[in-house]
Amino acid sequence: MAGNSAFELVSERGWRRGLGNLLDNEFGSWWKTSLWWIQTLIWVGVIGFMLSAVVFGAKESIDTVVTIYCVFAGLFPAVAVVIVMQDAVVGEKQTGTAAWVLSKPASRPAFILSKLAADSVGVLVTMVILPGIVAYALMWFGTGSQLDPLAFLEGLAVIWLFQLFFLAFTLMLGTFFNNRGPVIGIPLALLFFQQYLIGLIPPTNYLLPWTLVVPLNNQTDAMVPHLLLGQPIGSYLQLFLIAAEIVIFVLIALWRFEREEF
Amino acid sequence: MGDFVIQTQGLSKTYKQTNALQSLDLAVHHNSIFGFLGPNGAGKTTTIKLMLGLIRPTAGSATIFGMDSVRQSVDIRARTGYLPQEPHFYEHMTARQTLRFTARFFFKGPQKALEERIDEMLDLVDLADKADRQIKSFSGGERQRLGIAQAQVNYPDLLILDEPAASLDPLGRRDMLEVMSKLRKYTTIFYSTHILDDVQRVSDTVVILNKGKLVAQGPIEELLAGSEGVIYIVHLKGDVEGAASLVQSQPWVSGIKTGQHNDETTWQVSVSDPAVAEAQLLKLLVNGPVLVTEFHRKQYELEDIFIQVIEGGQNGRK
Repeated sequence: MAGNSAFELVSERGWRRGLGNLLDNEFGSWWKTSLWWIQTLIWVGVIGFMLSAVVFGAKESIDTVVTIYCVFAGLFPAVAVVIVMQDAVVGEKQTGTAAWVLSKPASRPAFILSKLAADSVGVLVTMVILPGIVAYALMWFGTGSQLDPLAFLEGLAVIWLFQLFFLAFTLMLGTFFNNRGPVIGIPLALLFFQQYLIGLIPPTNYLLPWTLVVPLNNQTDAMVPHLLLGQPIGSYLQLFLIAAEIVIFVLIALWRFEREEF
Repeated sequence: MGDFVIQTQGLSKTYKQTNALQSLDLAVHHNSIFGFLGPNGAGKTTTIKLMLGLIRPTAGSATIFGMDSVRQSVDIRARTGYLPQEPHFYEHMTARQTLRFTARFFFKGPQKALEERIDEMLDLVDLADKADRQIKSFSGGERQRLGIAQAQVNYPDLLILDEPAASLDPLGRRDMLEVMSKLRKYTTIFYSTHILDDVQRVSDTVVILNKGKLVAQGPIEELLAGSEGVIYIVHLKGDVEGAASLVQSQPWVSGIKTGQHNDETTWQVSVSDPAVAEAQLLKLLVNGPVLVTEFHRKQYELEDIFIQVIEGGQNGRK
């Protein structure tokens, strides 16, 4: 390059090439725009409102409140996760910004991983932690029972895992399709129909995240309420398998995106 | 290898049943301005995307700076600036943020030098007063100018411009050609366009593609000389038949095409030895029974050559 002796060249190589810059950009799209506070406002509002109704209106017991919280904190933000993530890859493919970014010295894995990292953290903070803090306070003041903060954090971590499952799944689909329909439709269908699938094929209970947050047909307790209440859980197999699936979705996304043509 | 920035060998790309590019062989010298011409759908953008590793060849290969476009595409792009045909940027960013984002793919710092380079680029494309406006409010021409700026922010050794003048007004086009001419001493410029006048003004080498095939390639002077050889245009009045016999009998004359307009006859004299023709043709005529009203060597416009090779189906190289 001519005339650039005043500059310090980027030293990242291989799959990390461009990662730092892309991470800055992706984190910036959460924290330097209105996205973070809009998402926070929505989920603090939705979860706070529903919990307030249960805690102060119906005056349910802490066990019931926790169970209801898990359903709201798990299922509803997952819809937003799908909507945010479909835009991450398909949106950029459609607008042409992906092709522009990849015409720079940026590796394709860096492009995918930067989105995964920034959106995972964005979801964690705005859809899990901040609404979780509000929910914790509401449960404490509403029922008079203070939950163990560490146990509560464990529960939030599993709620985050639930969201990550849909985040990684949508990210993967975005690398296969060029239009938004299937990238939104398939994860949302899975989100709401997984309980029927588990009913049809019971072993899929270990492969699908439904029973992390929602009790199955009122017969099987969900995992997160137990964690939030500081109760022991039977097996970590489901957690391990869901985490493994997330890794597999990401690996498939990386493989597919490497073959994408722009 | 060392003399060429770009080399392609049998480079081909097929989409399902469509041959977008068929066995392209190119060689682009250092510090040249290489014009890449062809009608819509000729395969120009496909070639550029293959060179940048945005798509993979079906057959053949491309090497840029001696590096393979498939296996070493990131390293190639580290030394290249690229303006896409329709530049798409993040709409929420400002022009300055876009240039900063682009520059950070190449340079870690120092911040002061980066900001100075960004200001320099904004000045170059006359966007300094709009630097902090979001791109979603930019016109097509402003986006194109920003595209030109971001393509140059890294001091590229190779600048690839896909239809750089497409959205520019005449003044913008003129400025862009000036910038290209200035950059020649630092960089090699490979650009596709359909504006033949621009190519004729700044390019030193030209390639014409049609339906995915290379149909003409060569230095601009050679292409402008035409494929018909050297022709002299003569306008004359008087006894043209006698003069024609005299001219036709010369061993260096290969043919005369005659046209008539009012009382004036026009000849297109094809010659096999331009040097002898230049010295003797006019002399022969002025000493004869005709009045020569005009005499010049036929000059081709690139547009003539372009139409000739595209419509004439010339599939060989110049």
